[in-house]
Amino acid sequence: MTQNDDILLRGTGFQPVSSTNDILLSVENLSTHFSTQQGLVRAVQDVSFAVKNSRTFALVGESGCGKSITALSIMRLVPEPQGKIVAGKIIFNGRDLLGLSGNRMRAIRGNRIAMIFQEPMTSLNPVFTVGYQIEEVIRLHQHKSKAEARDLAVEVLRQVRIPDPQRRISEYPHQMSGGMRQRVMIAMAISCKPALLIADEPTTALDVTIQAQILNLLDDIQKQYKMSILLITHDLGIVEERAENIAVMYASRIAELSDCRSLFEQPLHPYTQGLLKSMPRLGFTEKRLYTITGVVPDPLHFPGGCKFHPRCPIGCNDKRCQTIEPLLREVIPGRQVACWYAPGYERPDDPKL
Amino acid sequence: MIDSVQKTFKAPKGVSLWRDGMRRLFRRPLADVCLFVILLYFALAAFIYICEIFHWQVGFTLWSQEVGPSYQAPCLQNIFGTDIFGNSVFRRMLYGAKISITVALCASFISIGIGVPLGAIAGYFRGVVDEIIVWIYSTLSSIPYILLILAFAVVLRDKTIYGIKLTGITSVYLAIGLTSWVGICRLIRGEVIKHKEREYVLAAKSYGCSDSRIIFRHLLPNVFHIVIIDFSLRFVSFIHAEIILSFLGLGEADRPSWGAMINDARIELARGVWWQMVAATVAVFFISLALNIFGDALRDSLDPKLRVQ
Repeated sequence: MTQNDDILLRGTGFQPVSSTNDILLSVENLSTHFSTQQGLVRAVQDVSFAVKNSRTFALVGESGCGKSITALSIMRLVPEPQGKIVAGKIIFNGRDLLGLSGNRMRAIRGNRIAMIFQEPMTSLNPVFTVGYQIEEVIRLHQHKSKAEARDLAVEVLRQVRIPDPQRRISEYPHQMSGGMRQRVMIAMAISCKPALLIADEPTTALDVTIQAQILNLLDDIQKQYKMSILLITHDLGIVEERAENIAVMYASRIAELSDCRSLFEQPLHPYTQGLLKSMPRLGFTEKRLYTITGVVPDPLHFPGGCKFHPRCPIGCNDKRCQTIEPLLREVIPGRQVACWYAPGYERPDDPKL
Repeated sequence: MIDSVQKTFKAPKGVSLWRDGMRRLFRRPLADVCLFVILLYFALAAFIYICEIFHWQVGFTLWSQEVGPSYQAPCLQNIFGTDIFGNSVFRRMLYGAKISITVALCASFISIGIGVPLGAIAGYFRGVVDEIIVWIYSTLSSIPYILLILAFAVVLRDKTIYGIKLTGITSVYLAIGLTSWVGICRLIRGEVIKHKEREYVLAAKSYGCSDSRIIFRHLLPNVFHIVIIDFSLRFVSFIHAEIILSFLGLGEADRPSWGAMINDARIELARGVWWQMVAATVAVFFISLALNIFGDALRDSLDPKLRVQ
C-alpha cells in the first residue's frame, strides 16, 4: 500500500493532500454514455465541477438531466454493461477514482464516500433488521467485533435522532416510517465518517415537515463531521440556504455553475431564470406561476445547437442557438454559463451567423 | 415529555417477514394437520435410522422377520397381511418410509445446492455466464424427465467414485438430485433478475459490498421463500421418482421400498394378493396429499404477492 492509498483510505479525520486549495472532489470533463437498443444515450456530457472540504455543493436539474448518473459515476456504480464512463477524471483526495481497481474502489465506497438515495422505502433490505444493516457497513470497513459494531450502530442511530435506538435497532425496515428509514440510511452512510456524502434527492419521497427535519439533520452532521455533501435535487428551494456552489444541469450538460448567492440574485442562463421564476416565493402575488414551455428533450434525440433553444424565450429563433452549442465559459470570476446571450459570454473569435 | 410517552407506549416487538408468514401458516388447521402427518413420516424414518444404528430390536422395524405363513391375508395380527416370505407387509410399508424420506431429502439438498447458486449467479451477472447456465438447463429440461433420471441411475449404479461405492439408494438420490435442479434454478434466476434492480442492491453496492456478498447475503435471503415453497411441492415428485426407479428395478435391491412393493404386487395381483399394493399406495397417498396441501398453504402464507389480509 503506497502512502497515497493510506491517505485515501484513512477512516477518521480528513487532511487535504494538496495545500494549494481545499478541494475534496473534482470532476473533470466527465462523460457517461449508455448504449440502449434505440441508440446511444449521452447521459452525462463533459461535466466538470469541484466540491470543497466540509461544504455543500448542489447539483440541480429536472428528472433525466443526468444528475443521478453523475453521482453514480462518482461512485463508479453506473449499471454495466450498458452504461460506461467514456471520458473524464474523478479526482477524490488527489487520486483519480477511475484508475482504481475494483477492490480499492469497494474499500472507498461507504467508507470515504457514502451515498443516500431517494427512496428510503426500498433502499433498505427488507429481510434484515436495521441494526444488522448498519453493523454490516461498520464491519465491512472497520476491524470491529460484533459487540463493538452494535454499540457504534446504536450511537449513530442516536446521532440521527432516532428515539429509543436500543430498541429500534432490532426492528425491521417495514416497521418504520419513511422519515425514520431515511434516518437509518443516513446512519448507515455516516457510520464510517466519510469525507463526502452524496445525497441523491434525499427528501423527494418525504413530506415537507420530514423534509425539513432530514435537511437540518444533514446540516448538523455536516458541521459535526466536517463532511462535504454533494446534494442532488430538483428543488431549488432546499439548496438556497445550504449549498455554497450550485451547478444547474440541463440535458446532460451543466448550463450554469455559480456560487449560490449570485445565482439566486442574478441567474445568467435562461433556463436558470425560468426555474427561479417558477418557484413560489413568500409574498408572491401573481395568480399563476411561471412555467418553462415545452418538455425535457428526449435524450436519444437532443435538439441541435443549444439543447435549450426550443424552450428558450430568448434564443428560440436565433440561428446561432439552433446550430452551435455553447459550451461552459467563465463570464464573471467564479461564475460559468453556457449561453450565447449571457453577458460577457461572447468572444471576438466566436462564429457568427 | 417524550420520555413519558415512551414509557406509556410500548410498540410491539419486531416481527420479521418470516415469522409473520409462519404465523399466517399456523392459523390454518388443515395445514397443521398436514404438517403433523409429514412430521410423523419424518419421525418414523428417523426412528428406524436410530434403531439401526443402536441395534435396537423394536418390533415394527424388523421387516425381515417371519411373522406368519406366506401370503397371509390381512388379519388382526398382520393388518396388511404377509408377503411371499411371510414377512409383515405393514412393517415393510413402514420401512419404505425411511427409503423414501432419505431419497427425497438427499435429492432436495443436492438439487438446492446446485440450482440455487447457479440460478443466483446467472440472474445477477447476466451476460455470458447467464447464457451458459441457461443453455445447460434448457438442454437438461428438453430431455424427458424420467428418461434422464433413468440414464443417470443406470450410469451411477454400483459405481465407485473417489472410493465411495454408490449403493442402490445413493445412486437413486444422486440421479434425482442431479437432474431436478433445473426448476429451482430457473425460478431463482428469474427472481434474482427482478430483485437486483431494487434499490437496496444499489445501496449495498454503494456501501462497499462485493458481488458475492450481495448475491449470497442480500439477494438470497430475499428470494429464499421460493426455495422453501418449491421444495415443499417438489418433495412429492422426488418420492414418486424414487418409487418409479424402484419399480423399474433401479432402486434399493435388498430392502423394501414402496416402489419395490408395487413391483412385487404386479405379479401377485394376478393371484389375488392385493394387500402389498394397497399398503404401498396408502403410504404414498397420505404423504403426497399432506405435502401438496401443506405446500400450497406454505405458498399462500409466504409468497407476498398472494398475501391477503
